[in-house]
Order: sequence, then C-alpha cells, then structure tokens
Amino acid sequence: MPNLNLKSRLYPHYWQFIERYLNKRQSPADKVTLVQKLIFILPTRYGWWFLFLIGLLYLLGTNYQNNLILLVSYLLLSVFLLSIVLTYQNLSGLTVQCPSSAEGFATDKVHPVISFSSAKMHYMLQLNLMPHYDTVQLTDTSQSATLSLTVAKRGRYLLPRLKITSQYPLGLWRAWSYIALRQHYWVYPVPDSKTALHPAADEPAVPAGNNIGDTLTSYRSGESMRHIVWKRLPQNPTNPVVREHHQHNITEPEWVIVQPLSGDALEHALCRACQQLLTLENGGKHYGLKLPTVTVPQAQGALHLQRCLQELALC
Amino acid sequence: MLERKPLLLLWSGIQLSLLLLLNQAFALWVSAVFAVLMLYRLLTVFKARRAVSLGLVNILAGVIALAFFLQIKQSGVLHFMLQILLLAATARLLALQHLYEARQLVWVHYFLIASCFILHQDMFVAVIVLSVLFANLYSHYRLFSVATAKINWLQTGRAALIILPLWLGMFLLFPRLPPFWQIPNTKAATTGLSDSLDPGSIEQLVQDDSPAFRVEFTSALPAREQLYWRARLYEDFDGRSWQVNTSRQYQRGNQITASNELSVSANLTDYSIIAEASHQRGLFALATPVSSSDNVFIAPGGMLSSHKPVSQRVSYQVSSVLAPVVATSAEEQLNLRLAPGNPQTKAFATRLKQQYPDTDKLVQALASYYSQQPFFYSLTPPRLGSNSIDAFLFDSRTGFCSHYASATAVILRQAGIAARVVGGYQGGIWYPEQGYLAVRQREAHAWVEYLHQGAWHRFDPTAFVAPERILNNLDSMLPEQERALLNSGWRQFKLLQTLRQQFMHLDYYWSVWVLGFNDNEQRELWRSIRRHLHLLGYTLLLISVIAVAALALYLARARHDKTLPAAAKLLYQHLAPLLSTKQPQQPVSVFLQGCMAKYPQYSPLLSDIKSLYDKALYQNDASALAQLKVELKQHRRQLRRLHRAIKNA
Repeated sequence: MPNLNLKSRLYPHYWQFIERYLNKRQSPADKVTLVQKLIFILPTRYGWWFLFLIGLLYLLGTNYQNNLILLVSYLLLSVFLLSIVLTYQNLSGLTVQCPSSAEGFATDKVHPVISFSSAKMHYMLQLNLMPHYDTVQLTDTSQSATLSLTVAKRGRYLLPRLKITSQYPLGLWRAWSYIALRQHYWVYPVPDSKTALHPAADEPAVPAGNNIGDTLTSYRSGESMRHIVWKRLPQNPTNPVVREHHQHNITEPEWVIVQPLSGDALEHALCRACQQLLTLENGGKHYGLKLPTVTVPQAQGALHLQRCLQELALC
Repeated sequence: MLERKPLLLLWSGIQLSLLLLLNQAFALWVSAVFAVLMLYRLLTVFKARRAVSLGLVNILAGVIALAFFLQIKQSGVLHFMLQILLLAATARLLALQHLYEARQLVWVHYFLIASCFILHQDMFVAVIVLSVLFANLYSHYRLFSVATAKINWLQTGRAALIILPLWLGMFLLFPRLPPFWQIPNTKAATTGLSDSLDPGSIEQLVQDDSPAFRVEFTSALPAREQLYWRARLYEDFDGRSWQVNTSRQYQRGNQITASNELSVSANLTDYSIIAEASHQRGLFALATPVSSSDNVFIAPGGMLSSHKPVSQRVSYQVSSVLAPVVATSAEEQLNLRLAPGNPQTKAFATRLKQQYPDTDKLVQALASYYSQQPFFYSLTPPRLGSNSIDAFLFDSRTGFCSHYASATAVILRQAGIAARVVGGYQGGIWYPEQGYLAVRQREAHAWVEYLHQGAWHRFDPTAFVAPERILNNLDSMLPEQERALLNSGWRQFKLLQTLRQQFMHLDYYWSVWVLGFNDNEQRELWRSIRRHLHLLGYTLLLISVIAVAALALYLARARHDKTLPAAAKLLYQHLAPLLSTKQPQQPVSVFLQGCMAKYPQYSPLLSDIKSLYDKALYQNDASALAQLKVELKQHRRQLRRLHRAIKNA
C-alpha cells in the first residue's frame, strides 16, 4: 500500500495496541456506565491554544506589571482547569447499551442503534465505532443514536468498540471513552439480482430443449470437479468451464438448497440462496432452507426469514 | 454554517465596546475606520445578508494594515499592535463563515479585552472590561453547545463558586516575577507638572479636579505645613520661565547613600503612595527620602523617580526624614546663575543683601516684606511685561504661587544665595475614616529652596501672602467668583459631589488591594500564612473531618434508601409520624387496613393510598407512583389530623 501515508499505516498497529490495553480494562458487557475508569481526557487543539493565550497574558501582565491582566490570565486559567471537571461530568454517569443486534447485507450499511439512559442530561456527544467509522453527532441523550458501518464479508460479528467523545462545554478538553458492548451484528450474503430474473419457484416446469437449465460458467475454486466440462478443457486449459445445474430449483420448489461447496462457489450459491429466500418471503410462501450441515424446516414470516438469513451468514 | 444571529450580534457588540475602550490608543481616523467596518457588519447581520467574501476582506484589511504601518511613528509600537489585533478581529467577523474561524475570533477577543487593562486601570472601567470578558466567555460557550441551549444558572453558580477561590488564590499566591524584557509603552499626553514652569502653568493645573496621587501613612500624619510633596526642581531661569536642568532629566539609578546617618538618627515618616498615570518619570516624596521600594529610585536632589514613564497606576513605599535635603557642590554653582533683565529686582536684592548679610535674616526679611506689603493671591493675575519679575514685584503685586516662587528665587540669587524653584503639591484632603490623603492636581504648588549651611531649606512665599492656602486649602481662600471657576459645571451639585467622593474612596481601595498588590505584599502574605500554618492546618483538618463524616452519613443513608422501593420511600417520607406507630413486623398494607377499620372517617382516603401503594409497589406502575405522590401532598392536613387522633387514642 504505497499510497497510504505513515500515519494511516501505523494506525492499525496503534489501535491493536490500544485495544489490548482496553480489553484488560473493560471487557464487553450488555450495558456500560461511563465511570472514571473508562473516561480519558486531554486538551483539544483549541485547549492548547487557550493555554498559550493564558501564557501570553501572563507575560503581558508581568511585563507591564499589570495586576488586572494577571487577573484575567488567572481567571482564564481557572476556567481552563474547571472545564476539565465539567467536560468529564458531561460524560460520566451515562449508561450506554445496544438493545438489539443490527443486520444488513454485505457491502451495504449495517445500522446498530445505541440507546442511552442517565440521571442527568449529556450534551453534544459524538459517537463512532472504532476504528474510524462515520461519526454521529448527538445534541443530547434523550433520543437514541443510529450508527452505521460497512462490512464486506458475510458473517456474525462482535460490535466493535464504540467511541463516545465530548468537548462540551467550552471545547477546551476532549473527554472520550471506548466502550465494548456485548452485542453482535449480522451481515448476510448479498442477494444475487441475476437469479431474481428467473424466480425458480414460480416456474412450474422445464420447457423442452437441450441444455436448458444448464448453463456454462467459468469454474470457481471449491466447486465439485464432477461438473467440469472436460471436453472444453483442452481449448482453454487455464480457464475450466463447469455446467451449472438448476435442477434442484425445479424438483424442490419450496426448498432453498445450498450444495456442499467451498470458496467462491459457495459464496455465489449463498448469494443466490439469499435472493431466493427474499423472493419466497415476499411471495408469501412456506419455505425451508437446506444447508450441508443445517436444515431449517419450512415456515413463514419475518422471524423465519431472519433465521434462514442468519444460517446463510454463518454457513 | 454559522448563521447564528445572536452570536454575530454579540461579537459585534464586543468589538464596538473594544473600540470604545481602546479609543485612547487610536487616532481619530483609525477609530472612524473601525467604526465603519463594525457598523457595516451590524447592518449585514440585521439585514440577514451574507458575510463579505474572504478575498475582498483580505484586500481591505491589507490596505488598512499598510496605512496603520505607515503611521507607526506617530502611534507607537504598542498602539500599532492593538490596531492590528482589532483589525484582525473586525476583518474576521466581516467574513465569518466557519466554526474554526469563530474560535479564532473568540481567541483574539480574549487577548484584546485583556489589553484594555494596559490603558485603563480604574475600577469603573475595569468592571466594564470584565463584563465584556464574560460576554466573550458566553459566546465561547455558545460556540460549543446547541443553538437552543440556555444557561443553566445553577450549574454556572456552582462553577463560579469553584472558580472564585481558585482564581483569587492563584492571584494571591502564584509567584510574581519582575518584567522579563523592555516593552513598548503607551504614548499619551503627559499630565501633572511639566518640565518647564511658566508663570501661568500652575493656574491651569489647579482647575483640574482629578487625583494626582494618594498617600497612606504608616507612621503618624505629619502636620499640614510639612506636606510639601516635591516633584520637580526648576534650576534654569531664562528671565521668564523656569526649566528643569538637563542634567536632572536623564538621571538614572544611582541611589543616594549619603543620608544614611540621617535615617538612623531622625525619626522616619513612612508612607506609601499610589500615583496616577502621568506618562512622566517624576514621582512625589516628602522632604528627604531615604529609602524606597524597588520599583522607584531616589535620584540626586532627593527626587523620587520611576525607571520608565508612569503609564499606569503605580504604588510605591517611601521613608522620608522631614529635614532639608543635603546639597552637593555642583548644585550651588548651578543655582547662582542669573538671567539678564529685571533691574529693579536686582537693586532691591542688593539693598536687602547690604541690610541683612546673614542668609537667615535676609529670608526672614523677605517673608515679612511679603506679609506686610499689599500682595494679593489670585487665580487670574494680570499679564506681565517683558521684565516680568519687576512688573510683578513692584507693579501688579497680584499673582499665583508660581509668581511668588519665581520672584523669590530671583531675589535670592541676585543676593548671592543659591536658590531654586521646586514644583510639586502641597497639602491634600485627608480622609480620616478611610485613612488616606488624596492629593489632586488642584493641590499643585511651587515654592523655593535656598542653600544654607550645606542644605536646601524650604521657603514658601505663598505661606506669607496667603497663609490659608497652606493651612487649609485653595477653595477656602479664593474669592467667590474665582471659586466658581474651580467648581464649574456639574461639580456644583452637592449630591453628585458626594457620590463622586464615595466612588473615589472605592477606587482607592481598588488601587490599594488590586492594583497595588505586588511581590512585597505577596511575600508578606506567604510569611503570615507560614506563621499561622498550624492554625490553618487545624482548621482544614476540622473541616475535612466534618466533611468526611457528613459524606459517610450521606452514603449510609443513600444505601439504606436504595434497598427501599420508591413507593415505600415516598410513604415513609410523608407518613413518618403515622408509620412510627406501626409494629416493625407488620406490613404497611396491613397497618393501613387496621387504620381504616379504626377510623372509618378516613377510610376512603386511606384505601385510595393503599391501592395506589400496592399498585406502585407490586406492579411497578410509574403512573400510580406519581398519583400517590399527589394524593399524599393534597391530603397532608387530613393525614396529620389522623396522626393526632391515633396518638391521642
């Protein structure tokens, strides 16, 4: 990665190091209340400028032997010091939780919802999931926050650490906390829109004709060797061709079946299965899912769909 | 991004008040330029027009800054710096678009507001400057909060309670350092006595009512006749006006040590003076100063001087011996020089010298001459001709202190006695309750010192012409119409005068406690803290023990309360006297049931309470809890009556 600068190249290592430290400090929990142990606080860039201003005023006051300028300098210094406490208080006592697991399709956005509860009001919070996802600005904690993150691969993931930042009230200090919430989010395979053009369950029968239902596609790693069209191999030895069978769609219309495959072929099959599940659910059908290891009996409804999609994500 | 009208208005207001406060540092056209820029910004805010484009503002600011730079000779470096800073702030506000720009603006405002204190130190203006500072702090807060945020007064009050001791503690205890380097000073017209004394200059000065300096005596207050505050030595006479000798103007440093034996033998008068900004170096002292605080020094001739022009109020301590100043040999030659002209005076002096060869006798004779001949003391003397001393002594015989001092010094010099005119202040208003002496410009005075037996003796001809001037004050001895000249305009109103005086006292304390606080006093404070350290320690210990005990008690109660459900807590809070009659093992519901049976007239109320209580407690119903609270509050009196009935039973 030559186009990345040093900072962004080092950042993952830095974050790994920090995370190891954080894991020791706070292990994931359902509900986290921000206490002293979890809150970090340092001056912001504006805070450093403010401190510089205080130094300048002290110099000015000393050089002119002017007590009033010194008074202003000390006043600003005490404001600066007090704002440590105020900034800290704006974050402490906030209870954060993620009540439900978020879900979404791969390469699309997943939106975990974070809700808050606290005895007092907290203002001007910034939330983002580490490392560096989009920031969400929250004016106060009466409503919940919807975050977003993008994941390329299907699966079941642990919610990454949530970073909550606050500079309220004067922007001189930044208090922040990395929170690990014990919650998952699901990333389902991307529905394959190509199969949506031929919804298999709706086709009652296969019309006559040779090779209908079978298409030739290029071989993906992990596909069964039995399907390779050996006759074609000498023509193009680097690019083997397989015959794709659509028979299972025809023979078992209410079942979505994924063959025991691996690698890209499996991913492709899962994407197709995902699309089929969505189409079946939309069509109000009873359907089931047969995976090499798991079989989900035929049923219907949003919960059933979710169950099937989760099985696909885990396959 | 920053379309917040109130904030823009606030910043415009801050800048306008900064312009007013710093006005003294700006030439007229500079102020006009700023006023135009700020008013234009206000207009755009009101008309909700968009901010001016950054490029245009940059060009405009560049041109104005160049103009300022060309004027730097006239304005001085400090004023130039203030102009550039204010220009930066104004230009920034004109083109304000982003949040970070607003932050820079607030930052520059802080600096400008603090710089106002270079020009102004009196209390009234200081209060204004501080309120502008708080306005800026508020805008700073608004930058980092929601547009609709309101100030939480409770929290602000709490913050103020924490800040106040922190702030004052830092001010009192944080080490104070000497100035690190020479800094540019404000250029301003000098006030008070100048380096030359015309016959008419003091008359102008006495019409000024503003304070010159204020004195607090550590030792006893000297007699009024002793209160001659020396400020200037006029030793060059050109036949008409007196000048400070050039050798005195550039004197620096070397402290007088010759008068050490004096300080041991005689009793000292110790006092501290708070002098107003005069933009001159010369300061004030009584008779012969022997020691002073570090910020001032004693120049030869017993004159007190500051290291640099006094551009802000300065506080210093002096110990003086009320004895004539010791003369040096060079001074005698300097003060025997004669100016041409005034032949009549010359003849008069020669006659006197022949009659009284002894210096003491001669001075006495001169004094009796002034008191016996018809000399008049007046604020409005007639104009004198070219031989002004002759015209004054033998013709008009009407003059002010400077006329008398000038004539006397000339006579003495003609008679072969070294003499010089001293400018300064005489007397002052003593405020016994406040314990300080206020010396105004009005107390400006001139008198004569003559050399006799190696010391400069004071001779004040005014004391013989108009003794009331010395023993009382100027107002009391002037005729009615001349007094009107002094108290013109609003000064005639009694109430305003009293108010002004009260304010002056307040300003005095402000000067002593705030402006005059220096490293000496800080060292004193540290010393007294160290002395009372054990006392302080015990007090702190006691306070902390009480605090810890209170905290423990509070925590214990809180823990106890936490185990109780909210509904039960509420009930115990409102029905404490009633429930105290309950058996400990009896549940609340059963107890209430028993009460209902015993006192049927309360049964509807009690059954209400009981059902709400049950609902709130066992069904976790929040609305029932709220209702229970209302119910208990509404029927407070009835419940009290019930309690009384139970107790009586």
